[in-house]
Formats: sequence, C-alpha cells, structure tokens
Amino acid sequence: MASFHVNGKLVTPSKNQKLLRFLRDELHLFSVKDGCSEGACGACTVIIEGETVKACVPDTDSLDGKNIITVEGLTDWESQVFTYAYGEAGAVQCGFCIPGMVMCTKALLDKNPNPSDEEIRYALRNNYCRCTGYVKIIAAVKLAAKIMGDGVIPAKRTEDWKMGSSVHRIDVEEKVLGYGKYPDDYVLDGMLQGAVLRSKYPRARVLSIDTSAAKALEGVVAVFTAEDIPGENKVGHLKHDQYSLIPVGGLTHYLGDGIALIAAETAEIAEKARKLIKVEYEVLTPVRNIEEAAAADAPKVFDEEKDNVCSYKHISRGNADEAIKNAKHVISHHFETPWTEHGFLEPECAVAFIDEDEDVFVYSTDQSAHQTLHECRILLGTDKIKVQNALVGGGFGGKEDMTVQHLAAMITYLTRRPVKLKLSRAESLLVHPKRHHFEMDFTMGCDENGKILGVKAKVASDTGAFMSLGGPVLERACTHAAGPYNYQNFDIEGTAYYTNNPPAGAFRGFGVTQTCFATETLLNLMADKVGITPWEIRYINAIRPGQVLPNGQIVDESTGLVETLEAIKEDYDEAVAAGKPVGIGCAMKNAGVGVGIPDTGRVKLIVEDDEKLHIYAGASCIGQGLGTVLVQIVGEETGLAADKIVYERSNTWIALDSGTTSGSRQTLITGEACMRACRELMKELNAGKTLAEVKGQVFYGEYLAKTDPLGADVPNPVSHVAYGYATQMCILDPETGKIEKMVAAHDVGKAVNPISCEGQIEGGVVMSMGFALTERYPIVDCKPVDKFGSLGLFRAHELPEIKAIVIDKPGLKVAGGAIGIGEITSIPTAPAIADAYHRYDGEERYELPLKNTPYERKW
Amino acid sequence: MAAKRQVPYMSALVACNGGCREGKDGQSCSYGCVACSLCVAACPFSAITINENGVAEVDESKCTACGRCVEACPQQVIHLHEAGNFIAVKCSNRDKGVDARKQCDVSCIGCGICEKTCTAAAIHVVENCAVIEEKNCLSCGMCAVKCPRHAIYDLRGVLTPVR
Repeated sequence: MASFHVNGKLVTPSKNQKLLRFLRDELHLFSVKDGCSEGACGACTVIIEGETVKACVPDTDSLDGKNIITVEGLTDWESQVFTYAYGEAGAVQCGFCIPGMVMCTKALLDKNPNPSDEEIRYALRNNYCRCTGYVKIIAAVKLAAKIMGDGVIPAKRTEDWKMGSSVHRIDVEEKVLGYGKYPDDYVLDGMLQGAVLRSKYPRARVLSIDTSAAKALEGVVAVFTAEDIPGENKVGHLKHDQYSLIPVGGLTHYLGDGIALIAAETAEIAEKARKLIKVEYEVLTPVRNIEEAAAADAPKVFDEEKDNVCSYKHISRGNADEAIKNAKHVISHHFETPWTEHGFLEPECAVAFIDEDEDVFVYSTDQSAHQTLHECRILLGTDKIKVQNALVGGGFGGKEDMTVQHLAAMITYLTRRPVKLKLSRAESLLVHPKRHHFEMDFTMGCDENGKILGVKAKVASDTGAFMSLGGPVLERACTHAAGPYNYQNFDIEGTAYYTNNPPAGAFRGFGVTQTCFATETLLNLMADKVGITPWEIRYINAIRPGQVLPNGQIVDESTGLVETLEAIKEDYDEAVAAGKPVGIGCAMKNAGVGVGIPDTGRVKLIVEDDEKLHIYAGASCIGQGLGTVLVQIVGEETGLAADKIVYERSNTWIALDSGTTSGSRQTLITGEACMRACRELMKELNAGKTLAEVKGQVFYGEYLAKTDPLGADVPNPVSHVAYGYATQMCILDPETGKIEKMVAAHDVGKAVNPISCEGQIEGGVVMSMGFALTERYPIVDCKPVDKFGSLGLFRAHELPEIKAIVIDKPGLKVAGGAIGIGEITSIPTAPAIADAYHRYDGEERYELPLKNTPYERKW
Repeated sequence: MAAKRQVPYMSALVACNGGCREGKDGQSCSYGCVACSLCVAACPFSAITINENGVAEVDESKCTACGRCVEACPQQVIHLHEAGNFIAVKCSNRDKGVDARKQCDVSCIGCGICEKTCTAAAIHVVENCAVIEEKNCLSCGMCAVKCPRHAIYDLRGVLTPVR
C-alpha cells in the first residue's frame, strides 16, 4: 500500500483507489470537487510534486512518496491572496471550478512569478469554467501574481454596499477556499448511496422487472420500482409527463428513463445491484427526430397522447403575407440550430434525510427549492418535506427539472435513512433537459431603405422525451423571433415535438438563441441587398422608447437598444476601416416570466438572534450572484453595513416562493420584492428603533409582475415588465480567420454590481461562441454519444479578447431600474459570428455550429 | 522552463521508448529508434541524447523545435509537438497488435483502451498505433494511466514514470 503526503501529512489509503475518491471519501477534503471523474473538467485539480494533476486520474498506489497539495493545504498568506484576487477580479460565479483554478494559479505562480497573459491562459487551459468565460479568472491570476510580488494585499476597490458598486461577492471566500458546501459535500452518518437503473432502449415496453437478485445482495437496503411510489408517478413543471420510474406495462421515452431505484450502503454495492436487476423489454421503433415525430404514421412517444405534438403556438399581428408581398426586398431561408448541453460544472446531486420534525429534508442543487418541494410532494403524496438549496454549481436552465431530488426524497421517505443520489457525468449528459434543436424557415421583407415591413416564420423544435419547459421555450422562441425592431407585421407558427431523444427544456436564452440566429442572419443578408451596413439596418429599425414592438407592446423609457448600437460604433467603424471581417447581432430578452403568468417575488427580512438582518428569499442563487445583489439592495435601501446583513440560501420553510431562477428574473422580481421589504423595515428604523429592538419581527415584501397573456384583447398588451437589449460584434483576424475580439454592449437598466454584470456578459458570450463554433451534442439513434471533454466547450487558451460594455439606462420603475442580464448575453453572439465569417470568406451559413472555420474540430 | 519562450511552445518528441527486443520467432520492431545518432548530430542545441534505453531523447528545455532532427531521422520517429501537452504516445509501431506485442515490451498494440477512455476524443488508434490530436487533448493522462502497455507517458513524470 502506498503512503504519501497530503498537505504535509503522511497518509495511507485504506485501499487502492482513485486519488479523488481518497481525498474526498477518506480525508474529507471537499475542496477537491468531483465534476466528471473522467479527466475532463479540472474541478478536482490538485498539485503533485509541483505539477497540476486531475485527482480523478491517478490511482493512489501509484503515488508512493509523493507530495500532494489541495486548496486546504494553502498557507494563510496564499489563502488570503487568492481570496482577495478572485474577489477583486470578480472571478467567482458558481464556484465549482474555482478550487481547481486556484490550484492552477498556485502551480503557475510557484514556477513563474510574473506570468504573461498568454502563460496564464495556457496554465488554465485544461480546466473548464462554464460561468465566467475565464476572463476574470485570468485577471485574478494576474492580480494574485502582483500581490505575491508586492507582499501586501491592497484595499478592496470599494466597501460601499450600495447598488451600482462593484463589491466582492459574498460567497468568494467559501468558494475560493473550497469549504462552501454543494450537496455532494454533505456526508451524513449512516448515509446510503442511491443509484438508478435506466432504460436499455429509448423506446420499449417494459414487460417485467425482477429485482430479487439485487435485493438479496448484501448491503442493498432497498430496490424500488414504480409500484413503490407513494404519490403520483408523473411530475413536471407545467405538464406532468415526466415519469419518475417506468411501470411494468409502460413505455420508455428515452434512455434516461428510470426503471428501478436502488439504495445501498456504498456506491459500489449500488452499482453491483444495478447490474443484477433483470428487465424484460419489448423493443419498439424509436422516434428519432422531428421529421419522424411529425410523420402521419409516426409511432407515439406517449401512450396517453393522441400524437407527438407537445406544444403548438401561432402568433400573428398585422398582415405579414401582405407586407412581404409588397416589399421591395424579400429573403427566405431555412435555418437549423443544434442540441446543446449546459455543461454546468457540478453534476446533479441531492442529499436527503429525516429531520427533527420527521420531515424529509432535501439538500438540493436546483434553480428553485420551491419547485423541488412541489414536485417531491407530488411524488411522495405528503407535505412533510423541506428543501434547502446548497451551493449550486451552475444551472443555465439545466437544473430546473427533477433529476435526483425527488428520487432521493423517495428513498429517504421509504427507508427513513439519509441518502445521497448523484449523477455520474455520463448520466448528467443524458438525463437533464438540453437546449432544443430547432428547424426554422424564415422570410423577411424590407423596403428600399432597409426598413423591415414584415416577417413570417415557421419553426419546429425537438423537445424530446417529456415537455419540461418545451412549451414556454417554444413560445419565447416565437414571441422574440421578431427581434428588437419597430415593425407591425409578424406571423410565426411553432410546433414542439416529442421524440425519444433526451428531453429538451430551458437553456440560457430560452428559445430566443435559436430564432434570433435566423432573424439576425436574415437582417445581415438584407443589409447587403439594400446596400447599407448591418449596423445601419439595425439603427434604422431599432426599437426606441415609446414605439410599438411587433408583439404590440409599447416599450418604456428604459429601452436602450440604440445605446448598445452606439456603444459599439467606434469599435465597429475602426475594424471595418482596417479591413477586418466584422459581424454584428442584436437581441432583446424579457426579464421576468411575463405573458400573463403570475410572476411573484417574495422576500422576508428578519432580525435574528445575532442581531443581524437576514434575507430570506425563496429564490435560488445558481452562481449568478443573487445573494450579493440582494445584500446590495438592502444596503442601498436601509443604509445598513454589509456585516449587519446575512443572505440565507433559499429554503422552503422560512423563505416564501419567489419563483424559479429562470427568465433573467431574479434581480428584477425578487430584487423589487426585497426593496419593498426594506421599506417595511425602514418604517420601524426611521421611527427610531434599532435592529435589536425589531428582533424576530418579519418584514415582508411582495411584488407581482403583472403582464397580459398572449392574445389578450387589448391594443397594446404588456407581454413583459421589462426587456434587456444588446448588440454584440465579432471581429475576425483577416490572416488566421480566428476571432480577434468580441464586443458585447448590454443595456441592463441599472447594474447592481457592474463587475458581476461584466462577468455575466463575458460568460454568456463565451458560452455562445461555443454554440456558434465548437459545441456539439450529437445524438445517434436517440443516444447522446459524446463525453464531457468532447462537447467542444471553449477553453481558456482559445479565447479572443472580450470587451464587455455595461450600459445603465434608467426608466424601469421597479427594482431600482435593474433588468436581468443572465440570458441575453448568449443570444446575439452566434449571428454576429456567422456574419463575420460571411464577410471573411463570402460563405453564407445557416446552420450552427458554423462550418469551415478554424475552430472546427478534428475527430 | 517556459520562461524563455512564449507559450505555447513546441518541442521535438521521439515516439519510441526503446523496449524493442528480438522475439522468439525472430521478429523485431522496424519502426522504432535505432540509435543512429543522426538527430544528435543534427541538433544545434545539444538537446538530444541517446538514453539508457538506447533511444534518442529530447530535453525540452533546450529544444527550439527547429525541426532538424525530424528531417534527419531515417526512421521518422521524431515529430514536433506542443510541449505543454505533456501526455504523449512514445511508440510508432504500426504492426498489428499481436506482432507489436512480440517485438517490444512497451509497444502500442492498438487495443483502443485509450480511445475508449478519453473524455475528449483526443486519442485514436491510427494504423494500429495510438495518436493524440493535441488540439483536443485535455492533458488529464487517463489514457496514460489506463494503457496496459505503458506506451503513453506523462512527460512530467507525475502520472507515469519517465523512462
């Protein structure tokens, strides 16, 4: 047996195992994150003999005599420097990649105290980050190098916790030093390990399930099937069409469908038990794509549906046919966008146990603890459930659905034992809903000056094995397909089809990423036809305050599309004058759910025994920084110092439901509710009371974002309370054909924390550079075939310069004018890049990822 | 070692690790380094030596990737690679696995375990020998750890011994 030093201490593992497992399971060094266990993500990076190594790779037996350092082994000085540098640079979002990045930082600086930007990017290149786009992590490394050299940690940029101030996020230290807990970091006494046996075929009828051999295996505590479900089998956001476990006699809908649920003393035993379960199937022809789903004689994905149409939308205003008929210039094209995987760094995991109230308590990583509660209640048929968000290692829409939470709750409910249920990376890639593949036909008509007269479109999406949010995604794809422009003839028909592919649901941009690619590409082609620049055609058509959008809504004073166009003008003109290929794209994105759906923010402020003001909002921080935003709002409204304010992660028994982290809504909706709660508190404080004197009192704020439903019988329906606007630009290096620079100008109303806002923009841009150029999620016969490392996510050394421009434009009357930024950052990127390549080589491209670019992958 | 040059910098790599032996039936590897020393002579930077396994070895800290050794090598076992990608296949044997196994202790037999293991689709068996597409490689070393023939190396000597 090998012995080696970990953080200076001599240790001997109990058995030969992967170093990652030893560090986490035996030494409880939880900074070493398990993001994939297959060598891809880098979240488990440690330093061995001065070199960075992914801890999931080496066997402990191969490490005899070696010296290993984890984040827990940093000196106090290093801990302080890295915490400061990552905080000051704004480098921390979800935080799951950060300990690995910190290890890369240390290994680099130990060898090279003054690294160049190139050397920093190169040192980080084997570690993925999905939130930040690496820009601010690179800046953090540079800053750390400087501080190490100076030997002094400078003062923070600001300590003023008001709105508009770039303070360090509240969760920097716990994420940099790795002691903040994600669900996988909880280890409870007597905790079982859960596992799910999934369908062998994408579409088959389950004829029988024999769990006897699995149950007989020593260490197996329970094996459950559909008949053990205490409540309803089917869960789901809107439509309950997601089977928790497929019953005997039932159809499987995709390869991720659960057949049996195993609870065992160890993960190894659970894995063995999974192989002992015998399932008989009648294998049926799968529905593999939109065309097969729409065919007249198509096999049905669901027994209980009349066909494979999951959702249909038709949105029409004015007369698009007539407008296009009379247009001087008309362009039509077919467009396609691919499936995309969220690639959040933290795979799905839930820990459940019975708490002191005899309730099932779930630590979850999700986008709404209340949604998890709601769906667990459906499955278990009981209200005796509590849900608490742990840290959430990224979501991007991919953690809105039930994957592990409800099943973990079920194991605990039935066995009364604590349990951890965690997806392997391969399961995660299969199970959680993806970005929809869209097939789109668009026609646009313009007058001789480039003024858009009308747009008509027909789109279809593959929503896979259950609805998830496929209906709303289709709807948002349709409503926003018109673009942020001022014209009145628009007609779009959309259909979302069930297939036996993995499910598709929410993904940053929520359908708009797809239709925006079509609309903006047509607009770029139209500019050429009219003989004006892509910038000019947008400036001509841009929606301005007081004008009417194609959906009929009159936009308010906060509308800042023109400002975003003006913000990039100098860079645009300069690049064009230098003869560089330049592409451009614009977008709008709603903040808030809108279209008449009740959308409520709810915040409680309570002074607890520590005499600090605690913020309770039933709203998940999935890495974007909601906690910091709320603390800043409280700071602004009450004047309290930050050390008197405590942000509590979302829970379901104190905090009231403040809606899902979706639709770029938390800053606006929960932010406004928080402001209202502050006003209640201030009534007391202004009357001379101290915090101590209002201890235990609840100050409650609620905000209902009221909107009109689609098709409301009013001349100018308010579809959404607010829209964010953006212009992004891509400049190519004319020699290499690689991206030289991305410029992204975003109208955010009011940036609560400008540096966080920049981080959102950079992260969104880089994510959609992947969408445009490198990312893939190939599905062959309903089976996703790629692993995490071959999804084509952008890496640190591949980055071009990214210039984020944050534009504050007042006008929104709520939340201090703050409009959500989360999604729009990813929307106009792909068409801007496509246009740049069109200028580069003359080839028009209507499909993503773009072909014939230097970014195309070999193999 | 990278301080003197801009990253990413290239270096020559000898794709042979000298496990060649004469098999029972007289077979031996015809693809590997033959220790002719032409590369040693060609290198203007004294970056190449013949190591204890009887094959040429490049000192990456001295190499400038001028490529003269690549041209000089009659066996074509030297190629340039990105030095920061420290996971490397050190075998060039293109014979079928059954033969390659007989000819050398540390030959790639084209079994494809590395290809199945790789998360990044960065390593593939081409003509019976594993080849890394360095642009895709995440340098995790999972292939090196899993290779039953020890034909894939962590050139830093952390995950595998440097032979």
